[in-house]
Amino acid sequence: MLQPPRIRAVRSIAVLALVGGLLLPAAAPAAAADPLILRVGTDQKLETLNPWHSVTVADYEVFQLQYDLLVSFGQNLEPSPGFADSWESSDDAMTHTFHIREGMKWSDGEPATCEDARWTYQFVLDVVASETGYVGSGYLEPYLTNTGAKTVTCSDANTLVVETEFPTTLLTQAYVPILPKHIWSKYTQEQIGDAEAEGFFVNEPPVVGSGPYVAVEWEPGQFIRMARNDNYWGKPGAPDEVIFQTFAGSDTMVQALKSGAVDYIRGISADLWDALAGEPDIATVEGFSNGYSYLSWNTKGNSEGYNGSTSALSDVAFRDALGYALDLDKLVDATLAGHGVAGDSQVPPYHAKWYVKPADRRTFDLAEADRRLTAAGYTRNAAGNRVDKDGKEINLRLTWPDSEEEMATNAQFIQGWFKELGITVDAYVTEEGKLLSDLVGPGLDGTADWDFYMWGWVGDPDPMSLLSFFTSFQIDNLNDSFYANPRYDELFELQQRATDEAQRHAYIEEMQEIFYRDSPYHVLYYDNVLDAYRTDKFVGWTNQPPEGGTPIFGYGYPGYLALIDAASVTPEPTAAPTEAPTASEGAATPAPSADGGPASGGDNTTILLLAAVVAIVTVVVIGLLLSRRRGAGPVEDE
Amino acid sequence: MSAPAVPAGTGGAVVARPRRQPGLLRQILSRPDGLAGAVILLAFSVLALVPDILTGPLQTAITATGPRLAPPSGAFPLGTDELGRSMLNLTVHATRISMVIGLLATLVTVLIGAVLGIVSGYVGGRFDALVMRIADFFLVIPTFVLAIILTAIIRDVLGTGSRELFGIRLSLITIVVVIGITSWSSTARIIRSQTLSLKERAFVDRARVVGAGGGHIMRRHILPNVTNLIVANAVLTFAGAILTETTLSFVGLGDPFQPSWGQLLDAARTVGAPGLGAWWYFVPAGVGIVLVVFAFTLLGSALDAILNPKLQSRR
Amino acid sequence: MGLQYTLRRVATAIFTIVLIVLLNFLLFRAMPGSPERILLGRMPGVTPEILQQTRERWGLDRPLFPDQFVAYVASTAQGDLGFSYSARGRPVTDVLLQRLGPTLLLFGLGEVFAIVMGLALGAYSGWKRGGVVDYVGNGVSLVLYSTPYFLLGMGLLLVFATGLGWFPTFGMSTAGATYASLVDRLVDYGAHFVLPLATVALGLIGQYAILMRSSVIETLGEDYVTTARAMGFRDGRVLRHHALPNAMLPTVTLVAINLGYVVAGAITVEVVFNWPGLGTLTVDALSSRDYPVLQGVFLLLSVAVVFANLAADLIYGVLDPRVRT
Repeated sequence: MLQPPRIRAVRSIAVLALVGGLLLPAAAPAAAADPLILRVGTDQKLETLNPWHSVTVADYEVFQLQYDLLVSFGQNLEPSPGFADSWESSDDAMTHTFHIREGMKWSDGEPATCEDARWTYQFVLDVVASETGYVGSGYLEPYLTNTGAKTVTCSDANTLVVETEFPTTLLTQAYVPILPKHIWSKYTQEQIGDAEAEGFFVNEPPVVGSGPYVAVEWEPGQFIRMARNDNYWGKPGAPDEVIFQTFAGSDTMVQALKSGAVDYIRGISADLWDALAGEPDIATVEGFSNGYSYLSWNTKGNSEGYNGSTSALSDVAFRDALGYALDLDKLVDATLAGHGVAGDSQVPPYHAKWYVKPADRRTFDLAEADRRLTAAGYTRNAAGNRVDKDGKEINLRLTWPDSEEEMATNAQFIQGWFKELGITVDAYVTEEGKLLSDLVGPGLDGTADWDFYMWGWVGDPDPMSLLSFFTSFQIDNLNDSFYANPRYDELFELQQRATDEAQRHAYIEEMQEIFYRDSPYHVLYYDNVLDAYRTDKFVGWTNQPPEGGTPIFGYGYPGYLALIDAASVTPEPTAAPTEAPTASEGAATPAPSADGGPASGGDNTTILLLAAVVAIVTVVVIGLLLSRRRGAGPVEDE
Repeated sequence: MSAPAVPAGTGGAVVARPRRQPGLLRQILSRPDGLAGAVILLAFSVLALVPDILTGPLQTAITATGPRLAPPSGAFPLGTDELGRSMLNLTVHATRISMVIGLLATLVTVLIGAVLGIVSGYVGGRFDALVMRIADFFLVIPTFVLAIILTAIIRDVLGTGSRELFGIRLSLITIVVVIGITSWSSTARIIRSQTLSLKERAFVDRARVVGAGGGHIMRRHILPNVTNLIVANAVLTFAGAILTETTLSFVGLGDPFQPSWGQLLDAARTVGAPGLGAWWYFVPAGVGIVLVVFAFTLLGSALDAILNPKLQSRR
Repeated sequence: MGLQYTLRRVATAIFTIVLIVLLNFLLFRAMPGSPERILLGRMPGVTPEILQQTRERWGLDRPLFPDQFVAYVASTAQGDLGFSYSARGRPVTDVLLQRLGPTLLLFGLGEVFAIVMGLALGAYSGWKRGGVVDYVGNGVSLVLYSTPYFLLGMGLLLVFATGLGWFPTFGMSTAGATYASLVDRLVDYGAHFVLPLATVALGLIGQYAILMRSSVIETLGEDYVTTARAMGFRDGRVLRHHALPNAMLPTVTLVAINLGYVVAGAITVEVVFNWPGLGTLTVDALSSRDYPVLQGVFLLLSVAVVFANLAADLIYGVLDPRVRT
């Protein structure tokens, strides 16, 4: 789970759109010799520069710009040179050799060698073997442990050899940043992994890295400034600096993009994104999500130690029937304004190579749901309410974390649909921390006191993590539906060790079939990521992957290096309004600048109406005061 | 709200009453500010009382019929929200939610404040000292931050779910309780000081002499004489409660299943309505809040003028 | 001698702070969700052992009283408020201090503006009671008083930033900007400052104006003032020497009382303008369940308000000898 659900939390929480929008008059107070800056807006703030603690999208994006992975990702997500220049695996796929580039240097000038990579990987192995068992937020280690990595050695200064316990092809996708040993080895595991430890390593700027940009200035909660790393081994990127700016919400972010204050914005809310279409010098991009929003069932129902409200929850037929009562296309339309795809498999279509659409996909059909429920033995009582096999009326509790506001809309629909089936749904939001506690089953001293709930997952370049959530090994961990199926477990291990792609595909296909049939989750939809960028300052924006990807915020950093200074390509003066020589006045002078001008018709309407309201209120008040004056006359003194 | 009722007989003892006043309500209505406040409130009360008759039942995602974020039109006089629900319907129903929360919160606040104020003032001693210390504490600390924290805790205790009390979902009842807990102290202080002065009055002494118990005296002699004060205080509390509810909802503690004005403003901001020029999403709710609070403020100032003899006597 | 008065005030303040610390402790324990779960989030690989370790780390396995409470009081007394969950590795104290400056700046200046303008407006209205300024001013004061800060801020933003484009809409300065000169920097900061400051000042003006107005009216009714005026003292003199001093006492009180409410205003105004102060921090902490920070904010703000009240009481004592008993 490269980007675990908490990110989604942070993303959607990231809250409070400002009302207006930004009209920073020509934001860059630029002098002629000013650096060429790529400004990126997100509504998630950077929370840490210590990559082990990364949680938010910004955390990941910053760390993958300043550190190399052993093997990186190309424009098509193919393995491409990273810290290692080339690599090969033995025939049994259990010995993997990586050739580290010669003469490579860290941004502080120290040589970058095999020893750095070895130290980093060994650190992960040591952490996993230690009593603590994890480091930081605990999201990165699985990339290495999933491969079965056993030993890591340097056969010479530029050759890293990794031995794995079982055959694997996943080492080229290990999302573990290679860190400079000469910096990091000064700290203990606790100082690196435990944010509350004495002497915790914050990794404050200037950060030493090997990637194309390294952090030089960080104003927590506001922005992070990254400067070009002159020691970077590849072709230098066009921007001299990259700045990630945190916004309070989509509204201001969009205004900032329109005014040229930022060049790229990530994760815009649907209606605002739609409204950006046709804006001059702005391109919008809709990325497929490598993740999904789901409805998870407490598949243990009310069995011993679990506190679902009905035994029906543990019945596959019950969950299957309710699948016909979910109009997923309607949810996509209403909740996502159409920017998503109705869900089915636990492997999102983003993984074109692995995704298999269910052959017998459920369609929205309340009559069919009703028929199936009845056939499965869930009949209605005299009052029209559905009754479970214990003779109890079925009243389900539906909840979702407060960080996912839009789920409330889904809940309204689900409540309505299930009501048609005689099932009452009690829908309410739950504070995220409490929800996490409520979900826990008896294996971790929890009570599993819930029926069904909504949240989301985000995946990796490889579907491994998304597949793992339904294995029984993950119960009391990430398998929140308590789903257990021996065949699924077996297939998981088989696909993990399969070195033949076709073979692995067959395993994964069967896993998807089982998942869809047994419905521990109903995948609601794959929600698209909505980004937009300016085309007048940089050109060369390239989606990764080309189909359904976005130019940046992908895997690795190829998108940044593909950028070209627009001024060097199109010397026409119209190209760069924000870089006009007079712009230095712009930011400073709060003048009604033309730059800020393109307030849309809608905005003008707003103003007019607001003015009208103000006028009305004023008239009312004045009228009131006048009447008061008359009435109050006699009370006056003098 | 007429003059305080004559305390019922206490063994034939003569019961003193404050100076006879014309009905408080009539006094209020005879003042322009009071009249204006009352008219505005009456209008909103009508909206709050019969939203179903005026605009039909609260629309949900399922029953919505309009297009997404459509501007005002004949069919949708105030446009629609992102689910195609009529904003007129939502805003009118939100009026009910906001007003009911305000009313309940006011009742809770005034109840706690009045009971503690009267008892504390009458009983005195250690109990009084303790209650007043606590009241001072609540007066001093920034109650809004406390309210935010308490909301999370009380939601945990009360539970959420779609169970309702007075037609209000439990999650919103939480807000009522939180407002009650955080704003009773000024009422208590005011009522207590009035009680202290009443306690020394002859009619209370007389009641005591004839053997009336403390509870009886508080109920029959003191309460009727602080009623006006309680009413005046309730008016201001109401305005404060509406503002607090709005602000709590605005920072995301509302309930989308029962949108109040604050919740609508929060939703508008989440959707990006201001940037989209969808003014119809938030202007009606905003105007509603300002007008209602304004009305209460007018009423409050009218009451202040009526009940505060200093202002009146100076002619 | 005001010693006794001073001592009593100080004692009350200390008592209040003790209560706040106690309340803070209880609130944190009462927060929904088990603390160790919140600490771990939805982390992969959570085993019963890890849960147990986390409990031990945070002392959650020990009894609430006295162990946890003593540990809490001891660390709080040393200014150690724990660590922010979301800003990993940063002590809460650091996070708070970073945000304190912008809030103080915004609301300090806002208060000053509001007091100066409010008192001026109030004095004038009271003096010319029944005049146009009085009625309009009074009406506007009431409307402003009825408007939640964030609505006021949203209105100003819509009109002056989005609509007219006169001012930027968020933050304290242009991010990552390099300035050619100090003047440029100040102008940039200034442009960001105008709307939030206006919101705060407008939100507060009403109360001071109403207060000053009634103080002036009251003073004018006093016999000695009538006499003074009859004797031909100029109005300005009467105002300065009688009305203004009279209004000072309640103003000082109002400033102190207001502080608590200003905090609520601070939160929403800062949110509307994305002002990097304690208000946005509060909402961020609320939405990311950063309870240590939320607790820290509550503690800091409460203690600040208590001290402000103490200061107001003491000033009150100096200004009005009658209360020094």
